[in-house]
Amino acid sequence: MSLLDIIATAMIALGLFFFLGGAIGILRFPDFYSRLHPAGKLDTMGQFTALSGIALYLLNDLSLGSVLTALKILLIVVFVFITSPTATHAIVDAGVRAGMTPWTKETREEGRR
Amino acid sequence: MRFIALITILLMGGLLFYGLPDFPDWGDPASPASTHVSPYYIEHGAADTHAPNIVTAVLADYRGYDTMFETAVIFSAGLACFFLLRTFRQKSAETKLYRHIPTGVTLRIEKGGKTPAGSEEFEPIDSHWVPYDMIINMTCRLIVPFVQLFALYVIAHGHYSPGGGFQGGVIFGAAIILFAISHDLRSVFRRLQEKTAILLSAAGVLIYAGTGVLCLILGGNFLDYSRLAGLLGVDAVMARSHGILIVEIGVGLAVMAVMVMLYYNLSSAGRHDEGL
Repeated sequence: MSLLDIIATAMIALGLFFFLGGAIGILRFPDFYSRLHPAGKLDTMGQFTALSGIALYLLNDLSLGSVLTALKILLIVVFVFITSPTATHAIVDAGVRAGMTPWTKETREEGRR
Repeated sequence: MRFIALITILLMGGLLFYGLPDFPDWGDPASPASTHVSPYYIEHGAADTHAPNIVTAVLADYRGYDTMFETAVIFSAGLACFFLLRTFRQKSAETKLYRHIPTGVTLRIEKGGKTPAGSEEFEPIDSHWVPYDMIINMTCRLIVPFVQLFALYVIAHGHYSPGGGFQGGVIFGAAIILFAISHDLRSVFRRLQEKTAILLSAAGVLIYAGTGVLCLILGGNFLDYSRLAGLLGVDAVMARSHGILIVEIGVGLAVMAVMVMLYYNLSSAGRHDEGL
């Protein structure tokens, strides 16, 4: 097991940890806006580390094919890194325009449905 | 009358179910399709058409008729949406809103008032107009060219990897729809008019069918691309590969234009005002 393997495995595991946190956050947070927080942040971070780990793992056998595939994976990372927070922003925007009020300590009791 | 219709449908359905057991099982290796047709495609596909992706070879070459009429079906779906939804009668609203482009001031003109129609400095806006969001706007501007580039890659790379005209056309259409969502319908119309979209969808089907007719004229069967060898200056096998690419471009054009037409008509209920 090379050093590259260890780093790649650690990064993929870290990515899965972020995804797990995101999933728990989506299920456990109280309202629409706070649920979007883990959905937007942790999924972006999770795919960033996990896919970078996969790209690193591919570089084990250094050939033109594997470098190209790693580059394509990095392109996916870059584009999701740009678009995922934008999508979250758009959803929050739509929620504000539709008149959803954020969860506060005052609305906690009535919001429990 | 409805009773007779019900009886007819039940009889037809029963007949279909009666015939069902005679079909070969799902994925049965002894079925006629698996004993004659599939092995031929698998063994000769790459040698016949110079396309390592057998799916593309079957789709656009061996079963070109099928794909041509699939494209025609998509074209007629776009036309059906156009004829069902498009309304040309402008419902004149009580009040009209105009935006002064240099300053961003909105004018509200009551019924009977003088409208600045035809002026370069004003543009009409709708009452349910949604203000622009700069973040979404800029991100979509950044992403759209890459999505379009990827769509062209998917169309052109269909010989070697999953992809082809249908997928690439859908991605290209999605890029334009993304632009329409992040801006508004008017700014898309400035780039791709409805008339152009309809013409492009018809042109896509025409490219496909025209390639087939060209093969007929050059003395082969309909859609027998190897006859294009002389025209393209390559050997017969490579000509089939190029022929696949040509019809895939036709499919991509038709699918892209139909996707855009569907969005134009569905998002604004055929009125083609600012919409979303």
